[in-house]
Amino acid sequence: MLEKIRAELPELSISEVSYPERGYHLAMDAGREQILKVVGFFDKNGFYLEDLFCVDYVEYLELVYFFNNHCGLFRVKTVVRLEPDKPTAPTISDIYAIAHWYEREIHEFFGVYFENHPNLAYLFLHDGLDSYPLRKGTVKVPEEDRKLLGSGAYKESEDTFFVNLGPQHPSTHGVLRVVIKMDGEYILSAEPMLGYLHRMHEKMAENRNYAQFLPNPGRMDYLSALNFNLAYVETVEKISGIIVPERAQYIRTITCELNRISSHLLWLGAFLADLGGLTPFLYAFDDRENILDILEGVTGSRLTYSYFRFGGLFNDVDEKFADGTRAFLERMWKRLDIYDQLITKNVIFINRTKGVGILERDMVRKFGCSGPVIRGSGVPFDMRKLEPYAAYQHTDFEIPVAQNGDILDRYMIRVKEIETSLRIIGSALEKLPAGPFNAEKVPKKLKPPKGDVYHTVESPRGQLGVYLVSDGSETPHRMRWRVPSYSNLMTFPFLAQGVLIADAVAILGSLDLVIPEIDR
Amino acid sequence: MIDQIIDIIGVLNIRVAIGLANVLGLITISAMVLTWAERKVAGHMQRRIAAKEVGPFGLIQPVADVIKLLGKEMLTPADVEKPLYYLGPILIFVPVLVSFVVIPFDARLQVMDVNVGILVILAFSSLSVLSILIAGWGSNNKYSLIGSIRSVAQNIAYEIPLLLSLLAVVFMSNSLSMKEIVEAQNDVWYVFKQPIAFLIFFIACVAETNRTPFDLPEGESELVAGYHTEYSGMRFALFFLAEYTSMLIVSAVATTLFLGGYKGPVLPGVVWFLGKTYFLVFLMLWFRWTFPRVRFDQLLNFSWKILMPLSFLNLIATGALLKL
Repeated sequence: MLEKIRAELPELSISEVSYPERGYHLAMDAGREQILKVVGFFDKNGFYLEDLFCVDYVEYLELVYFFNNHCGLFRVKTVVRLEPDKPTAPTISDIYAIAHWYEREIHEFFGVYFENHPNLAYLFLHDGLDSYPLRKGTVKVPEEDRKLLGSGAYKESEDTFFVNLGPQHPSTHGVLRVVIKMDGEYILSAEPMLGYLHRMHEKMAENRNYAQFLPNPGRMDYLSALNFNLAYVETVEKISGIIVPERAQYIRTITCELNRISSHLLWLGAFLADLGGLTPFLYAFDDRENILDILEGVTGSRLTYSYFRFGGLFNDVDEKFADGTRAFLERMWKRLDIYDQLITKNVIFINRTKGVGILERDMVRKFGCSGPVIRGSGVPFDMRKLEPYAAYQHTDFEIPVAQNGDILDRYMIRVKEIETSLRIIGSALEKLPAGPFNAEKVPKKLKPPKGDVYHTVESPRGQLGVYLVSDGSETPHRMRWRVPSYSNLMTFPFLAQGVLIADAVAILGSLDLVIPEIDR
Repeated sequence: MIDQIIDIIGVLNIRVAIGLANVLGLITISAMVLTWAERKVAGHMQRRIAAKEVGPFGLIQPVADVIKLLGKEMLTPADVEKPLYYLGPILIFVPVLVSFVVIPFDARLQVMDVNVGILVILAFSSLSVLSILIAGWGSNNKYSLIGSIRSVAQNIAYEIPLLLSLLAVVFMSNSLSMKEIVEAQNDVWYVFKQPIAFLIFFIACVAETNRTPFDLPEGESELVAGYHTEYSGMRFALFFLAEYTSMLIVSAVATTLFLGGYKGPVLPGVVWFLGKTYFLVFLMLWFRWTFPRVRFDQLLNFSWKILMPLSFLNLIATGALLKL
């Protein structure tokens, strides 16, 4: 691949970096003029846009494009430097659909204008804001930009009307608002409005030291707090070079998988409630309760655990945890049969989900989807296999993949993932080594060396990436969160076009969105 | 001559008045018991205990609920069509009430034996959709409007198979009077002679009463609460209770027409009648806590493409067999 890049993009300065240390393979410097060519090259070669964001280095702004491959892992970081006052860049939203939102986000947080972008309206922020929040130092929002704040007015015609699906609606699970233009029961267009739970975690990270930020990631995705916690902790460990003991790795794997099952179970219940079947909700919560009890025993909390520490864990697990987990595994295998009979074999359920909301293979790439959404469309893309972290390389598991990309497939994938997780937990519990659960000599106040690092884990909703820039001080210079639901939600306007409102609700449910994670 | 007529009318009126009062009491109490039953059934199907604190087995819970709802503010949103908005919840009770008049609870326990009993029930049960439409339109809310329009489309679609399946029974009994139909089932219940008609009738009933899997007019995951989104307090409670009363009436009609009404050995007729009725109601509760919701086009397709041809065929076959 490297030769091909060198051959086709000769004018770029390309440097290879150490993947284990930095989390990406190649770093490229592109100019403003070349970026379109670079993006076109990666698009042609089947790469997807993993992340697009901006970093403020005071003297200059840096647009960072992460490209990655779905089959073999090959992560390329491409950088474009911009002038700090009146920064402009060409839009790539016509090449990668997901860039549409990434660029809007960069525009509202950094004030970078993207030429020819179809709609640079603010995505998250509210009307009262007068400066760009993620810039270092105060940069005022110019008057013409402030007009973009808030949402536009909607014109109803005689045949069509607008419906606000949310922010208070039973099936948006949180405070997502989707403005839907409808013709009778059919949806003409849907536009998600974000920002109702925006808390600016990325800015918070820049204002506190590494240990102080520990509880925050769990608040982003409260349904898989451990996975988010793990992503953050491992990123910091990677940049500081902390070696985590084996036992801690295994326990991290087990608890994360338990968390994944609980997240999938909650999704299962809520999704069926979206379809009108209320009983599976209670069944799923019954099982989820078991997991919460087990995790409460070791972490002390039931939802937003901050269980992992730099270099290890908050405390060691005991026999009670192991026994409880084993009992849960035994119980859960039997329960899966019940779900199978109650849901999977139900004719109404199959009629509602089969062939609805189909995501094509090429589309998932353009949108940068991940997790069960992409695996439902036939791409075996799982960070646990591609970029093994914690103790996943020591456990034996298969990635379930389905081919049709419809709602039923996404459902089946998640149910099979529960089985996969059960297997992982089982084998990790067997192999659980003895030894210390914390690395020695981790300083109270971490000061990672200067540099940047990218790290991803597989959250229940997909690929969760953290990009961290350290300037050698106690606080991060920039911390960027690439969240899975964000790109999965972006597909919704395209999936919802021309379907019935009942299908739209089912599609929205099948994407498994957690809104605070999208809003951050 | 005139005196006699006045006498008859007077007697009739008093009979009807007393009957209506009793029916009203029965409906209200039944609906309240059914809300309790629904909670209990749902609870046990979902591996939980359900209401148990208020009274023995939580039996007084509906009373507590009603008292609570009475105390709630009846909010009237600013932009509603006030006359229609107020009329909706009241109107929804009338058809149910009238329908019960012609139902025979026992051989001699019936408010009025009208010789066109089935027609009365069909005519009045179609009216309930009107009040849903009024409520949905009057609420001036998009979700309500969609919900009520769904309800109209759904009722039109399911009324026809319902009617056709009933006609098969009428063919066999040669009567439209509810009581005579029951008497005609002295030997064998019609459910055994007309299983397809019963099945179609019951499915159509579930759809008519807007119960899961056909609860599209109020499907909460799509339309928040459908046609009663804007109603609160006791007005909402009226819609809520109306759902249970309409379940009761369709089950009572099904019992009368297919399950031999009050007929049954040993026990008094009323017990048999109510027992069968509540069994059918329980089936509906069971459906609700087992099935997810169908989609709207699937719902209509099911009626127009499957139920309706099937009920036609059934009717033709019945007519042919009877003539042969």
